[in-house]
Amino acid sequence: MFHRILVEEWQRVLSIVSITLFFAVFVIHFIRVRRIPRETIAHMEKLPLENDDHE
Amino acid sequence: MSTAITGAGPGAKTRIEYDDTPVRQFMIASIFWGIIGMLVGVVIATQLGVWQANFATPWLTFGRLRPLHTNAVIFAFVGNMMFAGIYYSTQRLVKARTASKLLSRIHFWGWQLIIVAAAITLPLGLTRGKEYAELIWPINIAVALIWVVFAVNFFWTLARRNEPSLYVAIWFYIATIITVAMLYIVNHLSIPTSWTHSYPIFGGVQDALVQWWYGHNAVAFFLTTPILGIMYYFLPKAAERPVYSYRLSIVHFWSLVFIYIWAGPHHLLNTSLPVWLQSLGMIFSLMLWAPSWGGMLNGLLTLRGAWHKLRTDHVLKFFVAAVTFYGMATFEGPLMSIRSVNALSHYSDWTIAHVHGGALGWNGFMAAGMFYWLAPRLWRRPLHSPAAANMHFWLGTVGILIYMLSMYVSGITQGLMLSATREGGTVLAYPNFLDAVTSTKVLMHVRALGGLMYLVGFVMLAWNIWKTARGAEAVNGSIEVFVPEKEKGMGIVAGFLNAPVIYTTLLFVFAAGWAALPGAWSAMCIVGLIATAAMMSMNFEFSKKGWSSWYDRLLVNALPFTVLTVVAVFIGGLVQIIPTVMVNTAKSIEGVRQIPYTPLELAGRDIYIREGCYLCHSQQIRTLVGDVLRYGDYSKLGESIYDHPFQWGSKRIGPDLSREGGKYPNSWHFFHMRDPRQISPGSTMPTYPWLYTDKTDTAALPNKLSVQRKIGVPYGPMTDAEIQQDCDKQAAGIVADLKAAGAEVPPEREIVALISYLQKLGKSEKVAPADAPKTAAN
Repeated sequence: MFHRILVEEWQRVLSIVSITLFFAVFVIHFIRVRRIPRETIAHMEKLPLENDDHE
Repeated sequence: MSTAITGAGPGAKTRIEYDDTPVRQFMIASIFWGIIGMLVGVVIATQLGVWQANFATPWLTFGRLRPLHTNAVIFAFVGNMMFAGIYYSTQRLVKARTASKLLSRIHFWGWQLIIVAAAITLPLGLTRGKEYAELIWPINIAVALIWVVFAVNFFWTLARRNEPSLYVAIWFYIATIITVAMLYIVNHLSIPTSWTHSYPIFGGVQDALVQWWYGHNAVAFFLTTPILGIMYYFLPKAAERPVYSYRLSIVHFWSLVFIYIWAGPHHLLNTSLPVWLQSLGMIFSLMLWAPSWGGMLNGLLTLRGAWHKLRTDHVLKFFVAAVTFYGMATFEGPLMSIRSVNALSHYSDWTIAHVHGGALGWNGFMAAGMFYWLAPRLWRRPLHSPAAANMHFWLGTVGILIYMLSMYVSGITQGLMLSATREGGTVLAYPNFLDAVTSTKVLMHVRALGGLMYLVGFVMLAWNIWKTARGAEAVNGSIEVFVPEKEKGMGIVAGFLNAPVIYTTLLFVFAAGWAALPGAWSAMCIVGLIATAAMMSMNFEFSKKGWSSWYDRLLVNALPFTVLTVVAVFIGGLVQIIPTVMVNTAKSIEGVRQIPYTPLELAGRDIYIREGCYLCHSQQIRTLVGDVLRYGDYSKLGESIYDHPFQWGSKRIGPDLSREGGKYPNSWHFFHMRDPRQISPGSTMPTYPWLYTDKTDTAALPNKLSVQRKIGVPYGPMTDAEIQQDCDKQAAGIVADLKAAGAEVPPEREIVALISYLQKLGKSEKVAPADAPKTAAN
């Protein structure tokens, strides 16, 4: 296993776990946002543009 | 007119009046405290070039005013600005009036009282001795309580919302509220010794890590995430077009929230912090480039097709410059987190240039843009003078550039001079630390000029908004909304106990087990990994439900969304802090153990902390040639394990003091503290005449020693009388030595205690592995 070569102290494995976690989070969200329906995005991005009588 | 939402049934059309009073209050408070904070900044910048500007007065010295400047700018200026932006935008994004007027009032007045308490206590020298966490423990409790009031009001408003979706700005606000609470509580865990003093429960490397986990994320979650939320609301408003890519904003949020929390150790590079933690901090800092620049580009590209408006619209000018400064600061931050770059930049004015790019450029200009946009709407009257706003922009921009350029030149000069060697790297090229101080002194005047220009710009903003609001009627916005059908909430149980969460957790656990566990356990984890993947595939095949249905529900359910945000930020904290607490073993104290301070030395240390000496003097010799040649062998973990709080510092305006003990005679310190220039010509250090007249508070020592014992410092049992005798005996020795050198002072004076502390610095004992403590906390 690669951890026997790379990991001299058990704490060092945390760097590997962290990077794996980050890429998993990044990839999952990237895929997810690609699949959000166009109408949902259109609705969300217009939310700040709805004016009240101030504006 | 009042809210008509109560009682209106689903599908009904109703008019809501927003509560904009807290928005006006927080905005005015932000401008007021911003000017105070910046003024103090100009004063301390002047003190660095002109030592006489300390006025030989305790509450006006650099060491006491610098925490006032940082706390005022972070918590008073940006804090109040953030609350104004959140109260305004949240109501409009969720189409609901703020839930409780009473809670808004408690929040506003409570926060202002906290600021006033800080403005009184910090110049008095009442401090915890940790950067941006200086406020004493009763104020810490008040901050936590007021933060809870804010959180309740915010989440209560979300619960009453008439817009089912949660716009991405709201996500950033949720992350801010949750993470700041977590960071603040952990870094302020202390045991009081009196109503105004406490010792943090962490010491040495643990305290260093917890402090910079907090310090770095104070930047991340107090100065960045809420302001990004504000950017995602106000920038589209000002540009009158939607954000460039809402999809990108989602990736921006999750990746930023997930990564930021890990990067704290980059404040401790090349120190005695374990290398694996330094690497972790560096790697995650570099990864921050991706989300930070994603967000920056998303902000700038929102102006697509509207760039021409920049010529005339003062609000957009401020926003665009702010986002550009955000991009520059977030490019530079990861760069400075590379260990070799950090070797040059750390402890120098380069860091000061970096943080002011963020504070003045990003935070200050976002605040100015938002205030100029809000004022005409909150008082329903056009801005008094757009020309003055334009002038403010240029004055501020040039001021920032002058400030930053002078600090870059100063920082790089300091870094190069203090690390320069000759004769094959065996001798320092500039052995006198003061060479670096005198070479950069003129740049301190330039920096003060840049800061002054920025301050004048903000005074113009205050005048402009006062003229706009004067005589005008304060008005609340209102809007007609349709009350939506209430969907049944997802609930916290369903938020966790569902297929995607369970499968993801199993995958992470098995993957971690495969990498970390030995032999058969590792093989079992691979089997687990494959089995989970197969089950996941079958489950989705048969149930015909995708992950997206769960995710979509999550995005409209604030509670489980909040809990998952907590999980995202919690992982980074746990991974760093738990191993650090556990690594305090014989191996990691590196065979050296600090000798605990005597009672008099402890009293002297508290005087050192009170005067803010740690703001100019570090106590950490890095694993770098320049540091070792100048100060001696690099610092070991064991040398500061009993330091509550740690005093490694973050800036060297004066030399490192880790090994100061025994370096000079007592009389050297006596004359140096009275008039630094008598001993060190060219020094910019203040004089400390009150140390020669004020008496050391030895009466507080029994309580202090008792608390030190509780937090793990190995003091034996001593009665009050024994403590006093111990102090008297040590003070008498120092006084006799001083007298022999021609310096007379009574033994109970503070200077004697301070000298005893300075002479103890760097004193440690060799420890065989078997004798080493198992943990520093026990």
